[in-house]
Amino acid sequence: MMRRMWIGWLVLALLVGVVPPVIAQQQKIVVYSALPDLETSLIHREFTRRTGIPVEALSVAAAGTLQARIRAEKDRPRADIFVGGSRDFHIPLAKEGLLVKYRSPVAAEAKISPAYLDPDGYWHGWYLGALSIIINSERWDRELAPRGVRKPATWDDLIRPEFKGHFVMPSPVTTGGGYIFVAVQIFRLGEDRAWAYLKALNANASQYTPTAPGTITLLERGEAIVAMMWAHEAIGARILRAAPLEVIVPPDTGFEIGAVSIIKGGPNPAGARAYVDFLMTRTPQDINARYGFRYPVRADVGVPAGATPFEQLKFVKYDLEWAIQNQTRIRERWTREIGR
Amino acid sequence: MAVLRWGEVRRQAADPGLALTFFGAVGILVLFVLYPAFRVLLYPSLRDYLAIPQSLRWMQAARNSLVMMLISTCSATFVGLLFAFATTRPDIPGRRFFRNIAMLPLFAPPFMVAFAYILMFGRLGLITHTLLGMTANIFGWHGLWMVQTVAFFPLAMLIISGVLEAANPSLEHAARNLGADEWSVLRTITLALARPGIAGAALVVAISVLADFGNAVVIAGGFPLLATEAWFRMEGMGDLKGAALVVAMLLIPTVALFLLERYWVSRRVYTTVTGRGSRIERPPTPPLLKGAVVTLCSLVSVLILLVYFGVVAGAFTSVWGRDWSLTLSHWHLARDRIWSLWSSVKIGAIAGAMTGVVGVVVAFLTSRSLPLRNFLDFLAVLPGALPGVFVGVGFVLAFNATPLGGTLWILATALAFWHLPMGYQAAAARLKQIERSIEEAAVNLGASGLRVLWDVYLPLLFRALVEAFAVSFIRAVTNVSIVVFLISPGQVVATFVILNMIQNNIWGAAGALTTMLLLLTFASIGLTWLVLGRVVRTSAVAG
Repeated sequence: MMRRMWIGWLVLALLVGVVPPVIAQQQKIVVYSALPDLETSLIHREFTRRTGIPVEALSVAAAGTLQARIRAEKDRPRADIFVGGSRDFHIPLAKEGLLVKYRSPVAAEAKISPAYLDPDGYWHGWYLGALSIIINSERWDRELAPRGVRKPATWDDLIRPEFKGHFVMPSPVTTGGGYIFVAVQIFRLGEDRAWAYLKALNANASQYTPTAPGTITLLERGEAIVAMMWAHEAIGARILRAAPLEVIVPPDTGFEIGAVSIIKGGPNPAGARAYVDFLMTRTPQDINARYGFRYPVRADVGVPAGATPFEQLKFVKYDLEWAIQNQTRIRERWTREIGR
Repeated sequence: MAVLRWGEVRRQAADPGLALTFFGAVGILVLFVLYPAFRVLLYPSLRDYLAIPQSLRWMQAARNSLVMMLISTCSATFVGLLFAFATTRPDIPGRRFFRNIAMLPLFAPPFMVAFAYILMFGRLGLITHTLLGMTANIFGWHGLWMVQTVAFFPLAMLIISGVLEAANPSLEHAARNLGADEWSVLRTITLALARPGIAGAALVVAISVLADFGNAVVIAGGFPLLATEAWFRMEGMGDLKGAALVVAMLLIPTVALFLLERYWVSRRVYTTVTGRGSRIERPPTPPLLKGAVVTLCSLVSVLILLVYFGVVAGAFTSVWGRDWSLTLSHWHLARDRIWSLWSSVKIGAIAGAMTGVVGVVVAFLTSRSLPLRNFLDFLAVLPGALPGVFVGVGFVLAFNATPLGGTLWILATALAFWHLPMGYQAAAARLKQIERSIEEAAVNLGASGLRVLWDVYLPLLFRALVEAFAVSFIRAVTNVSIVVFLISPGQVVATFVILNMIQNNIWGAAGALTTMLLLLTFASIGLTWLVLGRVVRTSAVAG
């Protein structure tokens, strides 16, 4: 008898403990963040302090996952905001009609360059990043420097035979950074020569990491010597964790415009607009520059520590429209011809 | 068991409460077990299926998964046999120690062995880098092989030692008396009797290796495998159809192995066992063999202790591999994420309660002479054949668009029904021990079918319920394979946070949070022990 009472109480306690949190809090916004946990939670703490709107966030440092979620939930959207990740991940969603148009008055006020904002108003760019070559200087000095190996300065240097088995990068099939890199090679060399280059690079590659932070993890631990990766990730690892990493931004590089967009049909559209407005202000861009080492789009926020000013970098002529339209085809060709 | 009598069938069918419960149970199992599975299998079109052989990467992943299954199963089964042998021979020194050590990996979160081995044997590993000055690359199939061997041999040990214990020592004595030497006794009697156990163990290990997501995602590196490929499909490409295809590919071999184990091997195991009534001492083990077994078991035990040592040490080390000074700073970061542990506990408790209640009710129903009870039994054991990633994708496809989606209930339900076979089998085993006459007495006194369940069986099944709850809870709080697909804002659980930390190189905090998770696991084992007076059946925890 006692035991059955027990079970009854247990079930009751569970219901009491679990159901109310599901019902309570009407006003919050739900954010899908492709930025790491640290920056996300700092920015959200500040947002809640300013606006009084609580934030429930899921941060996964892979924009593809979140893009997939938003697609899967299109009949019942559960998040209000998709933040972080290159605009390459927001544009397809806009084309599929899953985003809401919004033009933040704050962006106009701050005179943010129209180059960073969607002309149709589906996404707002709020940070920038550049692809780069990254070296683990500890292993370089120990293993390659004594053999007189020259440091790579261009994308073409990466296919030199000295780097055989020492190169890592994020997979073009599963990550945005990897894909932008492949597109950059195509814009730089033309499609046929780009594939020859990628095959030569493949001979040096020890692995293609399935997630973007995976590459920096491997390099930081010294599992590889040379990598292709976002510059800000390496600078962050160097400054925050004293990782022995050196960043070289080659000419003809690629970049991302980190975007924020409002999901159509989300539970709190007013809160979502307040969030976009907030990201256009100084504070969050400053936090992102300080802890994520990403370039701000606002002119009045300083360049992140350890980074070359964005205007001084030399970018390849990147045909965004082509890159987005050919995404599936190129990823399939990669799978077929490189197969890793 | 119940003897089928037509009169009883009619009587029970006429009991409306029981009939209602029965159809309710069938309905719930169809909804949460069959429906998600069908959603996955039917989501891609036939043309998508036919295109599989053209995808180099998928064929590679399938081949790699099969190769890993073969080599890891062989090594894990071999080590399991070794340990089973050591723990069932009274003249092997330290056999209790070996058994207790071998249980440890069963309670570790599924990525923990891989994580610890990167700390120990990776490029910055304590042993390889700092102590030996080597440059080792642990990523790839060889690292995964070692990790899976350590992670899954305890399963093999449990199954094989059950069979070895049951083998009657008098057979060995008889063979000795007939003039066989020690080695031929070992070969023709001991190992021959254990053969079905070894086969069964190999099949169970093979299923676990195929479905292993946690270790693979941490240590496999660029080595594509089916279990991780599904997640990468969603992670990088937002490709739900691709994910469904990959897990469907994974399903074929696991279901085949499962059916083989359940309907062929486990049946054979029971027919070969000769009973354990004998109290005769086993004949002594050949000294050479004794030495070899003790050496190898000690070596593996050290490898297991290194797993636990590595994770805890990582939590207190400033920068692993570079700065070995002690620090508590990682615990501050981990404390900031302690809410994730609370989400885990909440979801684990709901999942445990569901597994327990549904398991007991279904076990009660299948013990009645009801029509369709074999179907119900099939539904209740089927999740045991499904890889976690398959269940994850299934619940995404089936329930994400329903009100269940985005709440903690979708994750809890997925975990609860995935663990159902354990709760169900524990309850069914206890039901078989209950004397039927107790129930008949109640019925003669006028109790209805439901009343029988409530007043007679439930008190008796309390232990099974607690056990099912504990096992399901422990596995739910340590799960990653389902969690990564169903995680949503507001209920981010600890394993997900840890996995992210490992992938983002925040080792110290990952170690600290894993340590907290381990403490939680061991605390719940201790609590169950207090309630039940014995440890949770570890065989049920594994997998």
